Amino acid sequence: MKRFLTSSTGIIIVFVLLFLLKGVLPAAFLTEVVIYSIYAMGCSFLIGRLGLTSFGQPAFLAFGAYGAGIYLYYFGTNSYVAILVGVLASLLINMLVGTFLVRLNSSYFTLCNQAFCVVTFFLFQKALVKWTFGDNGLLLISRMKPTPVIDLTTTNGIYLFAFLVAIGVWLFFNYLLKKSVFGATCLCVKDNEQKLRFLGYNTFNIKWLAFVIANTVAGLAGALYTVYFCMVNANIANVSSASEAVAISMLGGAGTLFGPLVGSFLFIGLKDIVSQFISHWEVLVGFLLIVVMLAGQKGIVGSLEDFFAKQKSEGTPQTPALTEEGGL
Amino acid sequence: MNSNSQMILQAENITKRFGGMTAVNNVSFGLKKNEIAALIGANGAGKTTFFNILTGNYIPEEGTIYYKGQDITRLSPERRVDLGIMRTFQLASTFDNLKVIDNLRLAYYRANNKATLRNIFFSRMDRIVSAKIEECLETFNLTKLADRMTGQISLGEKRVLEIAMSMVTDPEVLLLDEPFAGLSEVEIDECLKVLYQQVHKKTILIVEHKISKIEDLVEKVGVMVEGVMIASGETHEVLNCERVRREYWKTAE
Repeated sequence: MKRFLTSSTGIIIVFVLLFLLKGVLPAAFLTEVVIYSIYAMGCSFLIGRLGLTSFGQPAFLAFGAYGAGIYLYYFGTNSYVAILVGVLASLLINMLVGTFLVRLNSSYFTLCNQAFCVVTFFLFQKALVKWTFGDNGLLLISRMKPTPVIDLTTTNGIYLFAFLVAIGVWLFFNYLLKKSVFGATCLCVKDNEQKLRFLGYNTFNIKWLAFVIANTVAGLAGALYTVYFCMVNANIANVSSASEAVAISMLGGAGTLFGPLVGSFLFIGLKDIVSQFISHWEVLVGFLLIVVMLAGQKGIVGSLEDFFAKQKSEGTPQTPALTEEGGL
Repeated sequence: MNSNSQMILQAENITKRFGGMTAVNNVSFGLKKNEIAALIGANGAGKTTFFNILTGNYIPEEGTIYYKGQDITRLSPERRVDLGIMRTFQLASTFDNLKVIDNLRLAYYRANNKATLRNIFFSRMDRIVSAKIEECLETFNLTKLADRMTGQISLGEKRVLEIAMSMVTDPEVLLLDEPFAGLSEVEIDECLKVLYQQVHKKTILIVEHKISKIEDLVEKVGVMVEGVMIASGETHEVLNCERVRREYWKTAE
């Protein structure tokens, strides 16, 4: 119960803060932060829990985005249904693609994900241009009708909805990272896959499910992205943005619960604010990433967790269990 | 089906090659129920390769492995665990990013549940509670380390933990790959104490460089030299065998 209160309180505090920030920062900025943090959550899970770095995240974002976009353009007007279609499309693709990609390890996994991203970009830009309109994309603003309960066609509505979805995703990952046997076995895959096999666990299945979960969450972010921007074009799958999710995860702290949120805040902040003054804002992200990695390789949240854990243990060498505290 | 029904685990005419090198050459070896046996030999003798074949890490080019009469030669390690075969590794093999108790919980959980995705997804680590886990912590002197991260304990403690992880699953056959490597004399004594408790209760195969530590524990010994099993049988008989004296003692002692 104590642990439940601790993790849930953390989530509530973070989101109250985020909600209060709405009075200070533009809703559009915060919505983007929340959507990006959902996007990065899956990538962070893969890196932090399974040791699998994926440079193919834009592809998984794109399947969710196009699932929602194609529904809204050709079949219906309800944004809730569009998001659901986006998630289901993403789920199906991930189940199929995961069957092949999780057979690979380390650099091979990273590169093949990137290759898949290139293929996906080609698919949406050229091969399916008749339906996706390539770089021009699907313009949906006139096709989306106001939705009941929370109107997703308004700025405040989509912000609130993305916010609630993010809380759901955070609670889900809180369970995965800190409580479930599945979460622990994912960590064991990263730690010592062979030993896990010889304990009788099917490591292929574990990696497959982790891949499907992580990338379907990216698909969910893609569907939200489409509804938020009222459009989707092939650039969403562009491999040039493949490092974004990885950078956000590393910056905030891969495998931590709040790392993706902190990383997204910094990343979008630099992108939106600093780009007004410096054209090559990515340079700052690059420098920041190097500094954070050199400071401890655990990202901002990971390093802070370590710092507070050390304070708590008052200099004793024992640190709290990472599975308990939500670290790697 | 295997004709030798006395044996619980039986390897027959096993050969394993890596490229042009024959690591294990036509080796046969069997374990009776509740027998404790050892496989000895110098470095590079093929002990660990043979051991890896028994546990499913390698598939042999020739030969057959029977478990309770069933051909398990091509069975995956996961399926062998289902049958009750558990192993440890030459290098202490634990999960450093989990707590000591969580290592035991994962081993215990798998031994008592089917590890389907549905099961492991909906099961919680903190709900894996058992007297068997507590008993193992106590038996192996791990109680005070239970909440420590495994990455923070010593190599010897990890080795003990790995054996404890095998024992908590209550396997029918336990295969220990150089269980005393890296352990202090005190830790070796502690491990031996636990192993002596298993005499006539469990089937155990121990791979070791030297027989001296386990000479009194094991009932049967197999001696490997350059991929060939040069002798196997009752411990003292084998150790006094002329060929073993000439080829093994010269190499290992």
